[in-house]
Amino acid sequence: MLKCVMSGSQVKVFGKAVQALSRISDELWLDPSKKGLALRCVNSSRSAYGCVLFSPVFFQHYQWSALVKMSENELDTTLNLKCKLGMKSILPIFRCLNSLERNIEKCKIFTRSDKCKVVIQFFYRHGIKRTHNICFQESQPLQVIFDKNVCTNTLMIQPRLLADAIVLFTSSQEEVTLAVTPLNFCLKSSNEESMDLSNAVYSEMFVGSDEFDFFQIGMDTEITFCFKELKGILTFSEATHAPISIYFDFPGKPLALSIDDMLVEANFILATLADESSRASSPQSLCLSQKRKRSDLIKKKAGKNITGQALECISRKAAPRRLYPKETLTNISAVENCGSPAMKRANGDISEVSENSVSNTEEVPGSLCLRKFSCMFFGAVSSDQQEHFNHPFDSLARASDSEEDMNNGSFSIF
Amino acid sequence: MRFRAKIVDGACLNHFTRISNMIAKLAKTCTLRISPDKLNFILCDKLANGGVSMWCELEQENFFNEFQMEGVSAENNEIYLELTSENLSRALKTAQNARALKIKLTNKHFPCLTVSVELLSMSSSSRIVTHDIPIKVIPRKLWKDLQEPVVPDPDVSIYLPVLKTMKSVVEKMKNISNHLVIEANLDGELNLKIETELVCVTTHFKDLGNPPLASESTHQDRNMEHMAEVHIDIRKLLQFLAGQQVNPTKALCMHRICRSGKKTLLFRVETNETSKVSSVLGDETIFL
Repeated sequence: MLKCVMSGSQVKVFGKAVQALSRISDELWLDPSKKGLALRCVNSSRSAYGCVLFSPVFFQHYQWSALVKMSENELDTTLNLKCKLGMKSILPIFRCLNSLERNIEKCKIFTRSDKCKVVIQFFYRHGIKRTHNICFQESQPLQVIFDKNVCTNTLMIQPRLLADAIVLFTSSQEEVTLAVTPLNFCLKSSNEESMDLSNAVYSEMFVGSDEFDFFQIGMDTEITFCFKELKGILTFSEATHAPISIYFDFPGKPLALSIDDMLVEANFILATLADESSRASSPQSLCLSQKRKRSDLIKKKAGKNITGQALECISRKAAPRRLYPKETLTNISAVENCGSPAMKRANGDISEVSENSVSNTEEVPGSLCLRKFSCMFFGAVSSDQQEHFNHPFDSLARASDSEEDMNNGSFSIF
Repeated sequence: MRFRAKIVDGACLNHFTRISNMIAKLAKTCTLRISPDKLNFILCDKLANGGVSMWCELEQENFFNEFQMEGVSAENNEIYLELTSENLSRALKTAQNARALKIKLTNKHFPCLTVSVELLSMSSSSRIVTHDIPIKVIPRKLWKDLQEPVVPDPDVSIYLPVLKTMKSVVEKMKNISNHLVIEANLDGELNLKIETELVCVTTHFKDLGNPPLASESTHQDRNMEHMAEVHIDIRKLLQFLAGQQVNPTKALCMHRICRSGKKTLLFRVETNETSKVSSVLGDETIFL
């Protein structure tokens, strides 16, 4: 199904991607497709998502074939590789990347779906070969649907700048706030924390707009997000030497960090803290006018007992997305049409958390200290688009191959 | 109470940063004393034999271009602040290639020491980094515990060997025993000794030189080769040695037995006459 070959320097970039994703999650999906090999992961609280897509030209050799099977209603459904690897299995393989880069002649990765294994082989000089067999779990990869191009604020920076900023913050601080105005950029410690613990140092760094490769701010914004994942992204960007693009909007809407250098495209989507008072002008934020709350959108969408306000919020967020035409065509590859097991699996997840979501949303109005992130839309790759289209709140997947979206253009799916 | 100071010189900033790193290695919390011509970092280790166990003095005019302070009152023109030393050293770490560093006392929600750094950057605009370090103001009634230790006339005082060498020796000794015996005499000889049931290891340093004694008379009749010894905790000594990042021009050790029989060891490290750090270790003789 999947077979690809890399050289030493390519392995280094691949390994760095794995290391960056390991900061987000303990599990990794290997998702090959016509577009290339994608590595995806999502963290346990569903507030951070990472995806690194290696295009076929990145590899020395890339071969992918999907199994096609006839389904009952005569629609060909192709099965993608539903491969989930534990980070503990794959991360040690890509250790000592510098020595790997120097010593290996080539690296082969291929799958053996009959045995549910991924095989990674390193070929050294003098005929030495190192083989790793990793068993994978069958699991449908999650994708995030996030439209970068409609974000009001876009920045492009050199990784060096972000690295300098990161040094300011201690590892004990979990969240940082990014504040932008059309003229400048400020990264600072999250206000929440420094008020609670009088021992914490509050730091901030102002950077002028001319230090950015691209600086477009539509509106003054302050967003707060988790800092831990940022470090992982940085190490990867240093490997690719490409600038980092940051796309964001108002507080509550996820933030996207992108690295795109023709061969590799990396996207890291992080949830941001929803803010209640200061964004009164922005219509979308009105719906979150209750106390700051972390809401897992998946949970919200699934649970039938969601508050009216939350429902409104989803619908408001949903509406604009649909209308925006997308330039980047999502090539509805066979990969995205999966059998219903995919949806069932996703549903399974939802139902088990719906109880939690109910209790969470009930708690929220009362408590000031419950801080929650709003999450992003997750799309499980699914085929039964028609039925989900009618019940948007049940579905995770945006209708990516339904007729309406084909006409409007489609969302970029990472 | 007011305090504002500014450093523009790169070398001064570097030195100040290194001192701050050293303090951070020696103590988790320390006291910063600000007076019109000096800045002091004081560590009061109350668990030990009482009194100050580390005292660092910086002549303000050697570091700062601008220095203005207003103490608690006219008679007590000093400010005593307590802070977490690591916070300061980390804040200064970001000031590696700074154009200017400003420190001032502020009150943002709670009293802070604000460190503001103007960094050089590639483009025309400079980056401004600000750190607000929370502090606690120490009330006047506690000031008496934080005064400079009076250094009594020592019995023996000797210049130390190169601290790096001494540190590597002591580090190896740490694996064998928790207590170290330091012996020194007025002949420039210093011994570091550890003793256990199985083994006894001694490292001898010779020709170290002794600083001139304050009062010659009392020691005239003393045998120059007589070794004064004191037992100390190796870990405490290592802590002191590990913190030494500043290359000292003078490092010396003074040994004193006071009338009650209590022995103390005082280490003093000086750099170019601009900064002095004194660390006191008490004797911990074990009676076997």
